[in-house]
Amino acid sequence: MSLLAPFNKLPTLNTASILLVESEEQFQQSLAVALVEEMTVTVNVRLARSLPLPLENDESRPRIDLVVFIINLTSDLSFRSAKASLKYLDPGYFLGKVCFMATNARHASVHTGLLDAVRQLAVSLHCPLLFAEDQTPEDVKSSARRLLTILKVASGLVPNTSALFLSNLTRCTMPLDIDQPSFD
Amino acid sequence: MDDPAKFLLRRLVRRIPAQMLKATLEKWGRLNAEQRESLNFSQSKWALTQELEALCEESRLTVKHIAELEMIYITENPNQMMWHAFQLLDPEDGALAVELMQFKELFKCHLRELVRNVSVKIKKHTDEAVWIRMSWGEGFSRLSHLNATYVVHYLQTPYVFVSGLSPKNKPLLLQVLTLSTKHERIKDANLSGRKLTAIRDLLLRQYEHVFPTKYPSPLTERNQSVSNLHTEKEQAEASAKRHQMAGQAFGNGVLPALQSAVYKLETKFKDPTNQTMTEQDEPFRCVVKFSSTNLLESLRHCASSGIASTPVAPLLSSIPLKGRNYFVITDKSPSANS
Repeated sequence: MSLLAPFNKLPTLNTASILLVESEEQFQQSLAVALVEEMTVTVNVRLARSLPLPLENDESRPRIDLVVFIINLTSDLSFRSAKASLKYLDPGYFLGKVCFMATNARHASVHTGLLDAVRQLAVSLHCPLLFAEDQTPEDVKSSARRLLTILKVASGLVPNTSALFLSNLTRCTMPLDIDQPSFD
Repeated sequence: MDDPAKFLLRRLVRRIPAQMLKATLEKWGRLNAEQRESLNFSQSKWALTQELEALCEESRLTVKHIAELEMIYITENPNQMMWHAFQLLDPEDGALAVELMQFKELFKCHLRELVRNVSVKIKKHTDEAVWIRMSWGEGFSRLSHLNATYVVHYLQTPYVFVSGLSPKNKPLLLQVLTLSTKHERIKDANLSGRKLTAIRDLLLRQYEHVFPTKYPSPLTERNQSVSNLHTEKEQAEASAKRHQMAGQAFGNGVLPALQSAVYKLETKFKDPTNQTMTEQDEPFRCVVKFSSTNLLESLRHCASSGIASTPVAPLLSSIPLKGRNYFVITDKSPSANS
């Protein structure tokens, strides 16, 4: 099966591996450059357009600690592509090793239905949803820093904290005033 | 200076942007240096026109000279008018040997045979193109220089680009062109656009082509956008393949700046969920228009980023392949129609 599994390989010392999945292949390039600059930990970045990943690279691929789906809120295609890629992930990843990153939230042409759909997706999978901007180098650096925080926990480099523990604190929740039965 | 000349001059000065006016007048050469010095280019266009009119009166310039000025401006800036391409077919024996003087003679001669009331000016541009400006007259009335037709022909190629041709004069001009280039037929190439340079480059295929290869280039440094030991692209092969196919369909490097493509559909409506529309016997008429600042560039990007599936669909790849941007699609096969 071509499912990406979280624990079927051995980890390497002081290393963290992250997989960035983005159907447009734009933001992931600059994020990769910013992520690799981290000094305290060796960060391996893998870039993909969608899952499943090609089998040929299976040998050389390190154990992926965090999978990030980058969704461009102005493009319906990127949301559909991310959703279709989800079924190629082993369910073990959804215990804190998957993260959604939405870009271009401030753009004028964002369809509100799409934002709600992304939120619903993140809520149903109990994953964190980060909003990031990709326009300036500072924006990219701050997005990379936030990802690194989650990555360090997911790869077990932070003592007394595990990915599942962190995900309970950071997971996305729907605002309470939507679709709630009134309690009169 | 009579009225038509004044009118033409006024319209021309309005049309030429202020920065180019000085250089164009210099190139024209009908006003001598001191007359040109006396013009004040920083004043309003209306005042400038008055001064120019006065100078032209002084030098006794006629409408023919003003027409020259217009031609010089258009030759330098051909990207403002709507151009249509035509293709010459069935060359006779001497077609490839027709050079400038012979073409000029044949053109003028055949034109005189067919039409009496027309004024022609032929000029050779620096890049091997022959420019022809024609002013037509209605029947026996005077020539009107206002709506001139411009024709550009590259000698020894079977392509002609025309702008400003009225439907009445179209068959005449096309017949003259066919005869003077020693071909038998001429047909509409179904290619039109504002930028002459773009449609010319597309038709003459003057852009960087990519040829299909079984073994892609061994130099992998070309597409290294993430050049770090710790970063790796998982689907690099698939991405490189898409790039290669997109390049094969559209070409590499800078592409001619085609700005629109029109597909006219006359096919039957096919949608299994919509019974009422599918039942109609007549074809569903629909026109799809793509427009962009550089259409070929955007189509190539669609193919290489995976938005359009590869191998590139023949409807899209036939734009650069056949050099057309107007297609009529019927149920049997995609066909040409003028």
